[in-house]
Amino acid sequence: MRDVVVLGVGMHRFGIHRKIPMSQLVRTAGRAALDDAGIGFRDVQAAYVGYLHAPVMSAPKQMKEFGLTGIPLLHVENASATGSVAFREAWMAVSGGHHDCALAIGFDKFSDLRFDVSAQSRNIEGTILPVAFFAMWATRRMHERGTTREHLARIAAKNWNNGALNPMSDRQPDHRITVEEVLAAKTISDPLTAMMSCPVDDGAAAAIVCTREFADRVAPGRPRVVVKASVLRSETYTPGHTFLGAVIGPQQMTTDTAQAAYEASGIGPEDIDLVQCHDAFSIEELEYYELLGFCRPGEAESLLESGATEIGGRIPFSTDGGLIARGHPGGPTGLAQLWETTLQLRGEAGKRQVEGARTGLCHLVGGGSVAICTILQRE
Amino acid sequence: MSEPAPTDAAVALEEGYFHIPTAAGEPPRLIGTRCNACGEHFYPRRETCAKCLSEDTAETLLSARGTLYTHTFLVAPGFGDNQSKGDGYGVGQIDLPEGPRVQALLLGERGSFRIGMPMEMVLVPTGKDKQGRDLLMYRFRAVEG
Repeated sequence: MRDVVVLGVGMHRFGIHRKIPMSQLVRTAGRAALDDAGIGFRDVQAAYVGYLHAPVMSAPKQMKEFGLTGIPLLHVENASATGSVAFREAWMAVSGGHHDCALAIGFDKFSDLRFDVSAQSRNIEGTILPVAFFAMWATRRMHERGTTREHLARIAAKNWNNGALNPMSDRQPDHRITVEEVLAAKTISDPLTAMMSCPVDDGAAAAIVCTREFADRVAPGRPRVVVKASVLRSETYTPGHTFLGAVIGPQQMTTDTAQAAYEASGIGPEDIDLVQCHDAFSIEELEYYELLGFCRPGEAESLLESGATEIGGRIPFSTDGGLIARGHPGGPTGLAQLWETTLQLRGEAGKRQVEGARTGLCHLVGGGSVAICTILQRE
Repeated sequence: MSEPAPTDAAVALEEGYFHIPTAAGEPPRLIGTRCNACGEHFYPRRETCAKCLSEDTAETLLSARGTLYTHTFLVAPGFGDNQSKGDGYGVGQIDLPEGPRVQALLLGERGSFRIGMPMEMVLVPTGKDKQGRDLLMYRFRAVEG
């Protein structure tokens, strides 16, 4: 198994891009990653292409736009976790000695999806909207731990304000977002308001990984960002397991995945400088403070109240705005997290920079369900 | 609300998930699985035990009543530009005494649900099939009284 370096990252700003063709989103992200890496498409030896809602055959069709180089390529899909899983495929291919340089790219347009959201459904699974599913997490936590709506709003406001500092973020507010504004937004599903929820948007993102030798040749002297762990897991049976309609499986899945990533890398939560997590709804980030091992069960509210998870705090979360502000178009989301983490570790995150950032954790869950944790470290 | 029975007028939205009562006063029941090897129960039914992976499993009817584990009221059902013109609805997870936690839509007003409240299963019509028969689906509601 060889060490793998993140050579380049790039993305297209997330947002509602009705007039921009998918191929243009893909091209922008791909070209940005290639330019950041300082290589051409001829150097890419394999492509792992993540999307949820593009048509079948989109992997070869979109990659041909970069050049017809005959490389192996495939479609990767694990719902919300798709981008990270595509990255994991590229990492495994290089780590396992199959390729020296591989591309992971994700793209999706969620804004033009059309489906029936009413209570009447055509099949037994129904349409359980993610907002309702995670709202039930919130109801339960408020009952068990005394979590308040203000806690949920505080995380959302933090992430909106982080998004304002990220030129790639969908939501870039022009004023400071407060807890009050988040609470006053329209309630979608008790207790979650629209501002505690990620947007339904479009975008693309890409990352290029390679061997140390390849990086030494192409980018000598540049900070080395190394993949220390990439762990993907699916559900294990737990008490209270919900099979039909549950968007995401047991919370234990996130804990087990993070634990495996810490063991594989020898890096623990205490060594992590920043975290990107699956904050599709702000209740999730609150739970992930505990599930990812950054505080003990029941202490997430205290961690939040201490300011530790803000930029400038001990363990910043969602420095790029998170899913809530930066956006969540599905396929590219995981790669946007890795884009942010790579920039942070290189010291290139501008106004969002976490001082001295050396090690970053990226976490996502994907419906059905799976969880993935990736740890990057700058040497 | 009277309990519908399978007739020429009503069928299950999908077969194999719940039993439509055939006698007056009989409640609808979810169809689940019991593992003969370890005793665990599951909903929906399945061939392989999720706990011990035994293939020695059997179909079983589950209780019609359970306890509300968590809930929400979807005030504005929607996803992006897909916004429902209809009313909002409750969604909950109900713990059945045999063990399974069932996710279902809830009947009841916004604000009327409490964690721990006893809930019962009912069947409601949700659309019609090509022959014009009601398609029945389960909901849970607070046990009355």
